[in-house]
Amino acid sequence: MEGARGARTNGTNGTDKANATILNCEGRTANRELLTTIVMADELVRMDRINKFFGRVQALSDVTLSVNRNEIVGLLGDNGAGKSTLIKILSGALRAESGDIYVRGNRVKIRNTTDAIALGIETIYQDSALIAQLSIARNLFLGREPVKGPRFFDRLDQDKMNQVARDLLKQVGIKKEIPPTTPISALSGGERQAVAIARAMHFESELIILDEPTNNLGVEETQGVLRFVRGARDSGHSCILIAHNIYHVFQVVDRIIVLRRGKTVADDIDPKRTTIEAVESIITGMPL
Amino acid sequence: MGIKSFLQKVISKPEFGPLVLLVVEVVAFTVRSPAFLSAGNISNLMAFTPELGMITLGMTLLMTAGEFDLSVGSVFGFAPIVMWTLYNTHIVPLEIGFVVAILSAVIIGLANGWFVTYLKIPSFLVTLGMLLVVRGIALYVTDGFPQRTWTADSPLMKILVGEFAIGDLRFYASLLWFILFAIILGYILTESKAGNWIQAAGGNPEAARARGVRVTRTKIALFVLTAVISAYAGITSSIRVSAANPNSGTQYELEVIAMVVIGGTALTGGRGTIIGTVLGVLILRMMRNGIVLIGVPGLAYNIFIGGIILAMMALHSWLERRHHSGT
Repeated sequence: MEGARGARTNGTNGTDKANATILNCEGRTANRELLTTIVMADELVRMDRINKFFGRVQALSDVTLSVNRNEIVGLLGDNGAGKSTLIKILSGALRAESGDIYVRGNRVKIRNTTDAIALGIETIYQDSALIAQLSIARNLFLGREPVKGPRFFDRLDQDKMNQVARDLLKQVGIKKEIPPTTPISALSGGERQAVAIARAMHFESELIILDEPTNNLGVEETQGVLRFVRGARDSGHSCILIAHNIYHVFQVVDRIIVLRRGKTVADDIDPKRTTIEAVESIITGMPL
Repeated sequence: MGIKSFLQKVISKPEFGPLVLLVVEVVAFTVRSPAFLSAGNISNLMAFTPELGMITLGMTLLMTAGEFDLSVGSVFGFAPIVMWTLYNTHIVPLEIGFVVAILSAVIIGLANGWFVTYLKIPSFLVTLGMLLVVRGIALYVTDGFPQRTWTADSPLMKILVGEFAIGDLRFYASLLWFILFAIILGYILTESKAGNWIQAAGGNPEAARARGVRVTRTKIALFVLTAVISAYAGITSSIRVSAANPNSGTQYELEVIAMVVIGGTALTGGRGTIIGTVLGVLILRMMRNGIVLIGVPGLAYNIFIGGIILAMMALHSWLERRHHSGT
């Protein structure tokens, strides 16, 4: 349990924050009053006391999650722990019964995915939410297509789309020469993730949520995705990374949050100061 | 780019298969029957082809957006009934009747779109129901009798289907309208922002919606477009043949869908091509015409059509697989 309780020292935050966010293992906040009144200057998103029911089953109970600027947070938990539910609420795919969401300190309502994207929260799902038949460039700009000439003609600025797409693909580390007019269906799983991440980065999403981004990927592609995640932080983005594979999470995140049966059981694990075994025992709830 | 990679690029285009088929067809029919390329036969071919062709253009966009419309043939028969009944009963002048007929098509399209998008009923069922409703109204209103059209004389008729000649070739204005519509809709599909939305709506509607694409609105607009263009084609046809028959357009829906699919548009949505559709229209219409010319019994026509559809589907799927395996 030492790992779970360990105050974090990395990152730019002060020690007050670290003390304030320590949770005990039963999932109750030790000092919630303090927590809710402190508004951190570098806090990007906070989900506060979120509750979600599916019929009579309580999927989430009083879950609180915060992500700071330039921070990569790993969200772990066993199957059915509520990770995906929590993320779907943040990305607008589901709505919580109660609880508040703050973005940059302002309370916001996220009714659908469009709202979330407008707030700078971009979710990249396993299937990357790309349109297989469309080209890379068309996918990148879908919904925000640049138009040239008189508005009446509604003409796509395809030169610009292709140029930006080419630059972006280089940025996210695709070295292979792939023309931006290639349909997504011709790309490998890792390349698709790269395109989705490139899209999130280009449209200045401040928070990129990756839901199992390394599933079904080869070793090299997985490394690619993890590299993009690190790169995202360097270019000023925050990330929430959900993955079954704890090893992957340990490689890239600054902080780990663990959910168990719809409750937060740890939210300040520093991967540099704990072991994978310790985190596993927190996830399963079984002592080492 | 070398010759080889250029060739590969051309071959991988979805329009390549239909183009080859069309060329083979024209050559084969011309060899067997020189009358195939005679001025008379081409004029003949180009009389009805644009009318059916217009419907396929709308259907191409609709199918690219992942839906299709079985009620096009009924609307093709219904719209002229509306126009000519209003005119013959001296309620309104012909031009107003035309506008009312088009508006009735707008309502049919909106209804189709509403059922499909808001009630989330598959377009197959919705438009099958609409096919029966619209055809039923046309039959009921007319008691099954054709409406008179030869009493009218309006500039509108000249604009829609006025005749003109190029040398020995006689054409109707409907051919020009068909070409114009093909250019406009082809532009919309591949060059415009709306076209990107149409393809996205058919490819992965949920993902498209998440990006802010108005999928529902896009689909409803395309149902309206398809209904309106079918009504326009039906009115054109009624003026050309001087009769508005409540039964006209029966079974056009399947021929139209076959033409679109042969052209390379995916039945499942996401991918569509206007050029391919125009080729598909020509392939099936020339097949019908040529088969009779070379002396194959007309009743055998459907064997060839069915065979072509199957062969083209096999070709498209083969090309698709080859494309995906990274060649």
